[in-house]
Parts: sequence; structure tokens; C-alpha cells
Amino acid sequence: MAYRILIVDDEPALQSMVGEILAGDGYEPETAGTCAQALERFRAAPADAVLLDVMLPDGDGFSLFGQLREVRDVPVLFLSARDEDAARLHGLGLGADDYITKPFLPQELLLRLRAVLRRVYRQEPDTARLGETEISWGKGTVRRDGEEMALTAKEFALLKKLWEARGNIVTIDALCETLWDGPLVGYENTLMVHIRRLREKIEADPSHPKHLLTVRGLGYRLVREVTP
Amino acid sequence: MKMRSLLKGAGLVAASAALIVALTLVGIWSFIFYNTDSGRDWSAPVGEISQALTWDGSGYVFTGEDLLDGDRWAMLLDESGQVVWSLRRPADVPETYTIMDVASFTRWYLSDYPVQCRVRDDGLLVVGSPKGSVWKHDMAMDMDTLLQVPIWFAALFLLALGCVLGLAYRVLRRWFRQEQQVRDAARSGGINGVSHDIRTPLAVVLGTAAQLEADPTLPPERRKQAAVICRQSQAIRDLVNDLNLTMRLDCAMQVLRKETLQPAAFLRQTAADFLNSGMAEGYPMEMDLPEAPLPDIEADTFLLRRAVDNLLTNCVRHNDPGCPIRMGARAEGAFLVLWVESGGAASAPDPEEQARRQLGPDGGAAHGTGLKLVSQIAAAHGGEARFYGGEAFRCELWLPAVGGS
Repeated sequence: MAYRILIVDDEPALQSMVGEILAGDGYEPETAGTCAQALERFRAAPADAVLLDVMLPDGDGFSLFGQLREVRDVPVLFLSARDEDAARLHGLGLGADDYITKPFLPQELLLRLRAVLRRVYRQEPDTARLGETEISWGKGTVRRDGEEMALTAKEFALLKKLWEARGNIVTIDALCETLWDGPLVGYENTLMVHIRRLREKIEADPSHPKHLLTVRGLGYRLVREVTP
Repeated sequence: MKMRSLLKGAGLVAASAALIVALTLVGIWSFIFYNTDSGRDWSAPVGEISQALTWDGSGYVFTGEDLLDGDRWAMLLDESGQVVWSLRRPADVPETYTIMDVASFTRWYLSDYPVQCRVRDDGLLVVGSPKGSVWKHDMAMDMDTLLQVPIWFAALFLLALGCVLGLAYRVLRRWFRQEQQVRDAARSGGINGVSHDIRTPLAVVLGTAAQLEADPTLPPERRKQAAVICRQSQAIRDLVNDLNLTMRLDCAMQVLRKETLQPAAFLRQTAADFLNSGMAEGYPMEMDLPEAPLPDIEADTFLLRRAVDNLLTNCVRHNDPGCPIRMGARAEGAFLVLWVESGGAASAPDPEEQARRQLGPDGGAAHGTGLKLVSQIAAAHGGEARFYGGEAFRCELWLPAVGGS
């Protein structure tokens, strides 16, 4: 089922552009140019998420945010030309799920919206595939070549963190923060041991990894799809 | 400009204060001069009166009655203190005087009449005025003290002038600060307004261009053109962001939210985010961090990230793909130095060579607002940005380390 996203912005060109971006990614966009229109549409059929401009002809997005939330508690992302810290903090302080400053790249908007929807509607599949390896998040195991191997708590947390980064680099500091809830100092070697053990479980050739890659001097990244 | 106006204002106030003091002093001096012995409004012309009183062999002849006002009187005492001539002498003025009487009235009053005296060959001429018409005061002063009077006057004058100037400086400074704040707020508001108005159309341009760039149904040439629009729109977006922040830092309107940062973790995260954003595709990135732990810094993460991001963006914009970008940190005395370098070969910091290659505080005018902002951010943290040109472009951010002295 496609998510219905309500775009509230008084600029028709932006409405249609964002609408196209969302439609292109499989969402069902709806648009409103004023607070009144947005409320009317939202009351008639609440959307699954709202992209909300701050400055609207008949009011401000911050007030509209509260009114929308009274109708139904759905994720709201502010999409505003106001980039001051005060506005951003105000928006997030009200309880918005994100605050995106215009102008933005379509990809950035989609990634942020996807992250919010994933967080709110939680539809992470229980299993994932990493090349020849199948990961079972529920059981905390990986299966490769018909052999099922249990992940230790640290290996599981490491794999989950890297998986959620969707191919992006995760610094060694962020990994240590995840595993030990503290700074890197003193844990570098232990982290490397955990990485090696994880590679032994998910990589066909742990000495020449194709999925769990080292980014020298920075950290690691998990490549989901390996192009031959 | 601000300093010049301030000095001009202070000069104006100082000149006004000096003029007021000078006028007051001259006024007081004139008043005293005119109303004392040298003045002519209250005293009788004793010298002329004396000349008008002559001995003709048998008696005194006085020809200067018009010199004596109607309510004034005169008398002449001989050497024994006896009155030998008088004109309109009041009844309560005695006829004979002892040497003590003379000593007393020449200094004070004679039977409450204020008198002026003139010594003549034949005695003492006394000219009296009505009771209560003139105030007399005998004044004596130690000679050393008298000689110090000008110094005291000058010192008091300078003290008063200093007070006036100090007060004027404070008032003017507050006034200028308020003026500046109003001007800054207007300037910042103006730029904020323009930047706000430009963001929505730019969002449409950027979004549409990015869509076209990613559209597989378009010919590659058209997609390449859309990519150009996309890159340039991003450049305008960065410029608008930089301009806004520059203005806020310039007007001290940006609140610094400082927290303790571990430089190595900070640099790794900033570099990772930059690589993750896809901005540095085709640019190998090298991180050079020492084995020994680096000192922490107190910094506003958002601002410092912005500074390093600007440096990395600058490296990408001014170098062709394939050019390595190097970054790292080192401790240098009480400072922590974060550096970013691109182009050329990796260079160890050689002080002499560095000094030769050092550029201006804005990193060279060709690089525009981005590097100026880097300098401003470093300055806002109590540090500085140093730029080096030559084969490799290098920027070092010198920031005070926590616990550094």
C-alpha cells in the first residue's frame, strides 16, 4: 500500500515538483496551498505523513502543526525556507519528525521521508539478504551455504548499525558508541576483532571482503548489492 | 568607519566640554575682575579725589565734588589722627583716631562704613561709602600655595575634562552600539528576507533539475545539461547559506552552542558524511591523525562542521576528480590544529615553507564567501584560520584546546 503524503505549500510550482518526486518514488501525494485547505483535507481523510511549509498565506505552519496533530498523530516534516536555528529548533521542539530547509535535493527529501516513515510505521522485514548470506533479525542469525550461524550480541548490533546506514560509511566512533555506549579510546582493537569475526560469518572470503568494507582512516560500510 | 565616527563624536564632545569650561572660567574671571578693586562700578576714584583736594596756604580746597556721589563722604586725617578736612562726614564717624583705629578701618570698616584710603604727604585721605553697600574681605595666602594655584587649576581642569570625556565616551559608545545593532538587524533582516525569498524558487529549480538529471528517458546530453543546472543551483544554495551565516557572525547574532568535541571523532564523522553525500565522488580522501590522543576542543558542532564542509567543498570545486583530499589534526601548544589540504603532494608542515605560502585571512579573494566564513567561524571560537597556497591548497584551523593555556 502506498503512503499518502499531504504537501502543504503555497507555491504551486513547488507543490507540483514535490508531488512528482513523491509520485516517482511510489507515494500518493496530495496538495494544499493554505492552512484552511490543509485542515479540511486532513479532516476528511488523514494522510500518512505531512510535508509542511512554515509560512502560509492564512497562518503559520507551526500553529497548523498542532491542529493537524489534534486530528491525528501522523509524522510531520517541516519543509521551510526559514533556515534560522530558532525556527528549526521551534519546529523540532514542537514534536515534528524532521525539519528540511529549502532548497533540498529530491534524494535528500526521499531519504528523510523514508527514514521517518520507517521509524513511525515500523515495517522492517524480519530477514535481509546480503549477497549469498541471509540475515534473520528476529533470530539473530546468519545463514550461508546452508549453514546457520548465531550472531553474538555485539556482532548483531554491529551488523544492524551498518545495515541501517544503507551503504553509507559508519565511523569507528559511531560503531564504538553503538557497541559500548562510549568513546572510541581503548576499543579500537576490540572493534577490529568483532569486525573480523562478523566477516567470517557473512563473507565468503573474509580476507577479501565484498560486503563489509573498510574505509581507511574513517570506518566501515556495508555494501548490500555487489555489482559483479 | 565605526571607529572613525566614534572618534569624531568623542572629539566633538571634548571640544564642546573645553569650550564650556573656557567660557565659564573667562566669565568668572571677568566678573571677579570687574567687581573688585580694578572695577569701576562700586569704588570711588580715590586718586582723582586726592588730586582734587589741595592746600592753598590757609585751608583745604576741594574741587572734585562731582567725583563723589551724593551718598559718599570723605575726610583727611593728619599724622596725629585728627580730622583736618571733611565733606559730608556722617555724625557717627569720630573726629579723632588712634593708630589701632586706623589699622582696623583700613582693613575692615569704619563704624560699619566701607572705606577706601589713600596715603598723602599731609596725611591719610579716607573716602567712605554708605553702610552695607560694599563687601570687603581681607585675603592672605602662603606664597608657595599661591604659586601652586595655576597647577591646581590646571589639574582640576584636566580632571573635570577627563570626567566629561569618560562620560561622553560611555554615552557615545552605547549610542553607537545601539545604532550599530539597529543597522545590523536591518542588514541581517534584509539579507534574511532575500535569502528566504530565493529559497523556494531555488528549491523548484534544484528539484526539477535533479529530476531531469535522473530521468532515464532523456538523452544523455540533456541529462548532462540538467546536471549542470543542478550543480550550479547547489552552488547558489551554498552561497545563500554562507551569506546568511556570515552576516549573522558579522553582526554577532549567531548564538554559539558549544560542547566538548573529540577532534578525531569529529573529523572522521564530517569526512564520512561528506563522502556519504556523494559530493566527493572520484576524490580519494586521506585521514592523517596522530597515534597519541588529541586534546578535546570546545566548539559549536554545527558551525565547525560547516567550516570543514566548506573547506572540503572548496577542494572539490577547485580540483579535478582524482585529486586527493587530505585532512587531519595535530596538537600545537595550547591549540588544536584541524587541517584540510588538496592538490599537490602530501606535505609535512615546514614552518619556513608554510610562511612563504601563507595567503590572506580570507584565503585569497578568488575563493569568495566560503573561506571568509571559515575564518569567521574560527574567530568565533577564539582561534584563527590560516590559508596556504602554492601547489597544494591547505587550510589550518587553529582552535584553543581544552586545558590549553
